Amino acid sequence: MMERLTGAERQIALMICVVMAIVGLVMAAAGRGDPMGSHGAIVLIAAGIVTCFVLRAIGEPEPAEDRTTSYYDDPTKAGLVIALFWAVVGMGMGVWVAAQLAWPDLRFDAAWSSFGRIRPVHTSGVIFGFGGNALIATSYHVMQRTSRARLAGHVSPWFVLLGFNLFCIVAASGYLMGVTQSKEYAEPEWYADIWLVIVWVVYFVLYIRTLARRNEPHIYVANWYYLAFILVVAILHIVNNLAVPASLTGAKSYSAFAGVQDAMTQWWYGHNAVAFFLTAGFLGMLYYFLPKRAERPIYSYRLSILSFWGIVFFYIWAGSHHLHYTALPQWVQTLGMTFSVMLLVPSWASAGNALMTLNGAWHKVRDDATLRFMMVAAVFYGLSTFEGSFMAVRAVNSLSHYTDWTVGHVHAGAMGWVALITFGSIYSVVPLLWKRETMYSWKLVEWHFWLALAGTVIYVFAMWNSGIVQGLMWRTYTDSGTLAYSFTDTLVAMHPYYVARACGGALFLTGAILAAYNVYMTIRHAPEKRPERDYPTSSEATEPAVPAAE
Amino acid sequence: MSVKERDPLTGHQTTGHEWNGITELNTRVPRAVWFFIIVTHIWALVYWVLMPAWPLVNTFTRGLLGIDQQVQVDKRVAAADATRSLWADRIAALSLDEIRDDPVLVSHVDQTAPALFGDNCAACHGSRAEGGPGYPSLVDDAWLWGGDDETILETLRVGINAPHPDTRYAEMPAFGRDGMLDRDQIRVVAGYVQSLAGLHSGAPPERLEEGAALFADNCASCHGEDGTGMHDLGAPNLTDSHWIYGGSDEALFETIYGGRQGWMPAWENRLTEAQRKMLAIYITSLADEGPE
Amino acid sequence: MFRKILSPFARLFEFHARTHYRTERHSMALTLGIIVAAGVGGFVEIAPLFTIDETVEAAPDMRLYTPLEQAGRDIYIREGCYACHSQMIRTLQDEVDRYGPYSLAVESQYDHPMLWGSKRTGPDLARLGNKYSDDWHVRHLVDPRAVVPESVMPQYAFLLDRTLETESLPDRLAALRAVGVPYSDEQIDNADADARGQARPDTDAADGVSKRYGDATSVRHFDGQRDRVTEMDALVAYLQILGGLTDAAFANQPPGED
Ligand code: HEC
Ligand code: HEC
Ligand code: HEC
Ligand code: HEM
Ligand code: HEM
Ligand SMILES: [Ca+2]
Ligand SMILES: [Ca+2]
Ligand SMILES: [Cu+2]
Repeated sequence: MMERLTGAERQIALMICVVMAIVGLVMAAAGRGDPMGSHGAIVLIAAGIVTCFVLRAIGEPEPAEDRTTSYYDDPTKAGLVIALFWAVVGMGMGVWVAAQLAWPDLRFDAAWSSFGRIRPVHTSGVIFGFGGNALIATSYHVMQRTSRARLAGHVSPWFVLLGFNLFCIVAASGYLMGVTQSKEYAEPEWYADIWLVIVWVVYFVLYIRTLARRNEPHIYVANWYYLAFILVVAILHIVNNLAVPASLTGAKSYSAFAGVQDAMTQWWYGHNAVAFFLTAGFLGMLYYFLPKRAERPIYSYRLSILSFWGIVFFYIWAGSHHLHYTALPQWVQTLGMTFSVMLLVPSWASAGNALMTLNGAWHKVRDDATLRFMMVAAVFYGLSTFEGSFMAVRAVNSLSHYTDWTVGHVHAGAMGWVALITFGSIYSVVPLLWKRETMYSWKLVEWHFWLALAGTVIYVFAMWNSGIVQGLMWRTYTDSGTLAYSFTDTLVAMHPYYVARACGGALFLTGAILAAYNVYMTIRHAPEKRPERDYPTSSEATEPAVPAAE
Repeated sequence: MSVKERDPLTGHQTTGHEWNGITELNTRVPRAVWFFIIVTHIWALVYWVLMPAWPLVNTFTRGLLGIDQQVQVDKRVAAADATRSLWADRIAALSLDEIRDDPVLVSHVDQTAPALFGDNCAACHGSRAEGGPGYPSLVDDAWLWGGDDETILETLRVGINAPHPDTRYAEMPAFGRDGMLDRDQIRVVAGYVQSLAGLHSGAPPERLEEGAALFADNCASCHGEDGTGMHDLGAPNLTDSHWIYGGSDEALFETIYGGRQGWMPAWENRLTEAQRKMLAIYITSLADEGPE
Repeated sequence: MFRKILSPFARLFEFHARTHYRTERHSMALTLGIIVAAGVGGFVEIAPLFTIDETVEAAPDMRLYTPLEQAGRDIYIREGCYACHSQMIRTLQDEVDRYGPYSLAVESQYDHPMLWGSKRTGPDLARLGNKYSDDWHVRHLVDPRAVVPESVMPQYAFLLDRTLETESLPDRLAALRAVGVPYSDEQIDNADADARGQARPDTDAADGVSKRYGDATSVRHFDGQRDRVTEMDALVAYLQILGGLTDAAFANQPPGED
């Protein structure tokens, strides 16, 4: 994979590996007896593995071809494969987590296997491992294709991809060891947080430099979304993770904020992790792969503008809907609620824009499971944003908050939208990248589609039921005006739904495993085909006049 | 690439760009979108005017309705209290027997007590008050402090060994750890206790005699000469078959060696008098039904 | 009519779309636009929480976590208890009836980070302190289903066997002071001994705890084992102080149901 690097680039890569190895060594030595020491060892091993790869290529001849005449797809390919790996791990963990709530003894008699420790392995595994890798990989692909320019660099794409995965591994292994800051979706400890900042800055620079090389006068909508994803996640991450470590040789740190300010900062982050990681980034994917696959023009450029800026501006305000009726001052709750409702319009505008784009291609949706993945994803996107805005209304939230209704909402978004759009994109881009005619088996894609849809529907319905039942039981009063149910009564009522959820999750996981297998077989066994015209053309496109609406 | 084309299907014009085959139509923003933007914005504006909404540097706009979530819930809780007090005040004022005789009050108890018991007591005493290792059954008729209403109510109010100024103290001394009896003596007296409870202890008669003597010297002051316990001290009856901590060799050894100090929380600050009375009626009614 | 209302907006949007068409060619303009658009909301919602005084109520009786309790809190975080338990009673009647007075901001004033939670797979724990005995907590944590058969909570029996690591407590308290918790030098210097003393009432170290953290501090064998200080001691000590740092919440609210 490293053959396409020049000698100088290989040396830079090697130097980075050496620096990383030293950092790992220092961490391992200084943090002995603390989980930080184990993380040092992990960093050291990771650096060692990458070094091996680089060393294997170091004697190879320099790349002969003119590199600017082609796209640089190696990191994309690696990223997609890694994303599928995380999909299986993260969703496998999800099924286990779900099973523990149905059958709590389904675990090992060891600290690492308890619910509280493996739950974040699931959430980080799917959001960052699966989602993050898919975002990075597709962003490389999309920005090159829509800019008609090769990536601006050969080491930095690898640095971003592998560095990000190092973050994911440190995060996941940390949770199992009990290393966590407890802030949802930002659990990794301070040194992992710092590392992610470095990776992210490089990612941004890479992105901006590639855009600067583009041969198109205009920047395509998908890139607006990817850019918003990169920028805002950086801001959120840095602010929410401000903390003071108890010692430089240990993992433990304390958040810079406390109490109500900490809560608001956390959910400003948490909600916008949803907005800019799980929404903006994947909208970037949608805006490229859906029209590409459907071979239809985007329904409306103007609607794209409206929904993009609407999403960027309104989402940020909505975080306080996670804190309705709490000790957070009510004025902030009001803002969170009203902005969440106003947010619905741009959200639906983007979902509608995608679905309207399919006009004229519905026969393809019927025949092509890959496109169907994307269509259903857009539907679930619309559904979960509608549900989200609804749940953000205080009166509704008083019922839904703390219950499985939230979990149902999360997975309508996470499985129905995030995972489905990702699988759709993977199925459409894998044959292109590996220069195959098609996926190895379209039947498996079809199977995957139905498994994923069934899994999502079962999961979400089970959680809607259990959430609403539990929420209602908590607040049911007897005729005497006293509480009708004890907390334990609700636990008994939850059990059947927890079983159903675990089954739905298992279906979904099966689909993901099929996807991994299908991709593997495509790489290995599908017949080759040279794609036509998939290279950068340097001719500067001419600038069309400012269009007027019709 | 820069030519604006018309999409043959919709007849709309494109923006004239193409990105790797993707084009965009320049369709107007649909009217419905504008409509909903206006609706949601107007709604938000109205909401902001009526409710606390916008921060100023040291304060915030309070809204014309003057609503505050804390004041609101305080009011709601007070109103609910007022409605409940129609019957709860009577429960608080009457004796348990008087309540039991009033079918209306009993129906309130029946509705209220199970969930109240589930949220507060079941964790220790079990969901049917049947007790468990370390926690006494409330449905057998063996009472540590006596089974009359007043005593039960007092126990609920002040707890046992709990952080409450009037709490009941119940202490089974640690005879072994504090060096009052050696290990062998403990085994001997434990055997005697088993025999009191009618358990087969397998100890030879002379050991039992030795045990009886030890018991008379050390234990009778609290558990009574005959081992039937003493309600004033919360010292349990050792001759019945109801154990808190168990009647096996190991359990008895542990009890006598390390002592016992059960911790029954005081509920005075957590539950109202009426609630405590309802619970007392509930558990005594369960006790009347007996263990399942 | 609808068209009339819309027409000024339509013209504005037309202008905006054309401007956009020109600026979307500049990646830095886009970058700046995104930062500004996404920056406003967070700033307006977070910054005033530091400047509006009434955000956090006054509570003169507010006390700090002892080192043992703080160690327990760190274990609570480590084990991910917050994934199932909230510590935030909302301003809703049923929550006040079930769990007690609603939570005030001041009660988590020194909580770095806060543990308000977002899911109640188990009950809220904001007012848990003194609701159950130490012994019950130990039994429950060792095997939840032994005491509550319906429970889906994991077992934490290993906490009883793990000696509590206390050497790092002075560092931890110092870090907490750096982020705003008013620990004194003396409290920081003695954190290690105080942590062990609070779980060993029979040792001299116990006196220091009462001296530095007040006589009301519970000094007990929280885990029932007299000769060692385990992680169970710390966790139970923490659970028993939940809701007990200040009485502020009880001051302005009537106690309990009815
Ligand atoms: C933390 C555990 C715990 C909880 C919660 C608890 N109890 Fe108890 N309770 C005990 C223990 C332990 C004893 C026995 C004390 C002793 O051994 O001296 C006890 C004793 C009692 C007794 C006295 C029994 C007798 O034989 O005299 C009554 C009555 C009682 N509990 C009722 C209740 C009620 C009603 C509730 C709920 C409001 C409740 N308990 C909650 C632990 C608990
Ligand atoms: C100071 C008073 C006192 C003395 C002396 C005393 N006990 Fe106890 N004993 C108690 C109390 C009070 C309890 C209940 C403790 C509890 O439930 O927490 C108890 C409980 C017990 C139990 C547990 C009963 C069960 O249901 O599990 C046994 C067995 C017992 N005592 C045996 C003895 C023996 C044998 C001796 C003498 C060697 C003795 N006690 C001396 C007060 C005393
Ligand atoms: C899988 C979810 C889960 C996790 C993780 C979990 N709990 Fe629980 N917890 C529950 C459930 C469900 C209950 C209610 C049933 C019961 O009492 O066991 C509960 C009850 C409790 C109670 C009793 C509360 C009351 O008022 O009755 C305490 C205390 C408690 N948990 C503490 C903890 C601590 C400490 C941890 C972490 C070390 C933890 N829990 C982790 C699910 C969980
Ligand atoms: C195989 C499919 C999946 C299963 C079985 C599953 C299961 C679960 C379970 C059991 C929980 C914990 C809920 C609780 O605490 O009560 C959870 C939480 C979560 N999962 Fe999944 N999950 C799956 C797929 C996904 C995917 C694909 C994503 C994201 C892309 C995702 C994101 C999340 C998030 C964000 C949470 C936290 C929710 C919250 O805190 O409210 N999950 N999942
Ligand atoms: C208009 C868009 C949306 C709005 C207004 C919205 C609103 C909400 C609300 C009100 C909650 C519940 C908060 C609580 O009571 O604790 C929530 C939770 C959540 N939502 Fe959304 N949502 C939206 C879209 C999405 C999408 C598309 C996803 C995609 C995955 C998503 C993922 C989540 C997650 C992960 C949580 C759980 C947070 C937690 O850990 O508690 N949301 N959302
Ligand atoms: Ca972090
Ligand atoms: Ca959550
Ligand atoms: Cu949100």
